Amino acid sequence: MTMKMKLKLKNVFMLYFLVSVCGLMYALMQLGQPCDCTLHSRQSSDLVHSRDRTISRLQGELKRLQARGNPEEPPKPALPTIYTVTPTYTRLVQKAELTRLSQTLLHVPSLHWVVVEDSPVKTSLVSELLKRSGLRYTHLCTQTPKDFKLQEGDPNWLKPRGVEQRNLALQWLRENRGPSDEGVVYFADDDNTYSLRLFEEMRFTKRVSVWPVGLVGGVRFERPLVERGQVTGFYTAWKPNRPFPMDMAGFAVSLPLLLANPAARFHLSAQRGNLESSLLQALVSIEELEPRASNCTKVLVWHTRTEKPKMKQEDALLLKGLGSDPSVEV
Amino acid sequence: MPRRRSVLTTLLIVLPWTILLTIWHQNPATRYLTILRKETYENSTAKSLQFLINVTQIKEEQHTACTHQQEVTPAQQTARRYVYSRPPGWSRWLPTIYVITPTYTRPVQKAELTRLANTFLHVPNLHWMVVEDSPRRTNLVDSLLERSGLNFTHLNVESPKSVRIGLAKDSSHTPRGTLQRNLGLRWLRENLILSDSLEGVVYFADDDNTYSLELFEEMRSTQKVSVWPVAFVGGLRYEAPKVNTAGKVVGWKTVFDPNRPFAIDMAGFAINVRLVLKRPWANFQLSGVKGGYQETSLLKDLVTIAELEPKAANCTKVLVWHTRTEKPTLVNEGRQGFTDLKVEV
Repeated sequence: MTMKMKLKLKNVFMLYFLVSVCGLMYALMQLGQPCDCTLHSRQSSDLVHSRDRTISRLQGELKRLQARGNPEEPPKPALPTIYTVTPTYTRLVQKAELTRLSQTLLHVPSLHWVVVEDSPVKTSLVSELLKRSGLRYTHLCTQTPKDFKLQEGDPNWLKPRGVEQRNLALQWLRENRGPSDEGVVYFADDDNTYSLRLFEEMRFTKRVSVWPVGLVGGVRFERPLVERGQVTGFYTAWKPNRPFPMDMAGFAVSLPLLLANPAARFHLSAQRGNLESSLLQALVSIEELEPRASNCTKVLVWHTRTEKPKMKQEDALLLKGLGSDPSVEV
Repeated sequence: MPRRRSVLTTLLIVLPWTILLTIWHQNPATRYLTILRKETYENSTAKSLQFLINVTQIKEEQHTACTHQQEVTPAQQTARRYVYSRPPGWSRWLPTIYVITPTYTRPVQKAELTRLANTFLHVPNLHWMVVEDSPRRTNLVDSLLERSGLNFTHLNVESPKSVRIGLAKDSSHTPRGTLQRNLGLRWLRENLILSDSLEGVVYFADDDNTYSLELFEEMRSTQKVSVWPVAFVGGLRYEAPKVNTAGKVVGWKTVFDPNRPFAIDMAGFAINVRLVLKRPWANFQLSGVKGGYQETSLLKDLVTIAELEPKAANCTKVLVWHTRTEKPTLVNEGRQGFTDLKVEV
């Protein structure tokens, strides 16, 4: 009796062992096999296709309606306009800089781009670019007086740049906007980099709002120091004793404040680094500054600079009279 | 003796189950990754449908079929997010542009990728493949890609020290970004299925160049390899392919070694994705490449000069600029660093 039971038990164990080993082998074989979900994805892709068609049809209609709309129309109520003032000057990388800046600005609603060329006349390069950009814009030009213009080989900090151009933009705003117009003015140089969030941070400025700027002043970023929601000083390594030791890209001024101070402008005579202060001194005091970008802890704008492209071969060809086709715009 | 036997038998009973359990525990992750690898498109379109339309039916079907997909543990979450496809807000009938961007950590990296993303947001049906030159995918790029709203793939591969910028003996001849671009090509080959209906274009876009929106529409119609002028390369205002009156590329308008088989910059050509898949051996050569020959090392395995398609009005318009960003002088950081390192720049 016990022998039979023993045998049976042994068999049971052997069977069990075999079964579990087989199961294990099967599980191991299953590893690394791609899952076959094609059946369900085919049904879902059919649905996706029909939805896709509807979506692209609606998008086409939307684009057509938008194109019909007049770009010169004033903005519908709600969002205050951001007047982005960009001084620019002719050089090789100008078209590239303005192109990528316009691509960023195109994402920002209620934006008015004021481009001021350092030139006696408006160039066709900038005119065409602005026309094709799809943005609302104002194209101005004024030439920097000779004494204040940088010469070839001058370091870029030797003379203040873009002063007359920015002042012309301020003048245009004073002549073309009234006390009922809401808005904010931002001085955006054409070689900096702007994140889209920055524009939303500055939109609702009562007087002057400020935020950190990356890669400027010889440090990773400069920023205003904020205590309990109020600006108490500035965190910068270069000339921290200026009245407003910050970069042009680090603040925005509300339009009503500018219009209320018709004499406020940038001064050509300002010392190196004091250009921003020359304007802001006439507008606000440090306590009145409004900190943005999470109490000035996030970097949303970078003071990037573009290298001057090497034209060694071009210059050599020009000497031989074989320069590249000047009718091809670069 | 009987005691030992009973120990043996209990061991025999328990052992297979423990092995099975350990393997099954790992199994969902590996299973999930294989699903992910094979069917990025199907999965992601279904996933994205969830927040585009209330199609609960599909959700449930997916749920029952591939149950492992729903078993999301923290480890799986990070594995799944390296590829992202957002709801098809635009036409599926436009060929997709796969933009491969190698990038590396330096102070201007976030700025460069930000403005590149701002450009790409205007281009419909664009899939951005960012390949970092780093041992691990960085949080900076990860969060930038997620917040951008673009379709992306985030990869990384570390270049050997001799190739990396600044450390190469002969930097002018060391091709930068090669390993990264090859990884991008490899990802495409592993994740796309070659078929006649597969439409797409591969473009290598460095993170410091400037691209006009018109460029992307020009390259979308590429059948094999299309080419166009590039500004600020080779010491010229622009380099361009020479196009004859019949509309065929016959040479190169460059000063620097115009006798190269393909005297063109990385930003000056785009390849049809079917061609990339058909020739899996075509890659950028990493070592032994002469200066200016990196593009040739790839293109020679893909096309002949006669098959090139000239774009941008027969290569007379400049739609891409090889801009370079100055290295910011962080002199005031000093040895201990002036600014708070916790703030991301």
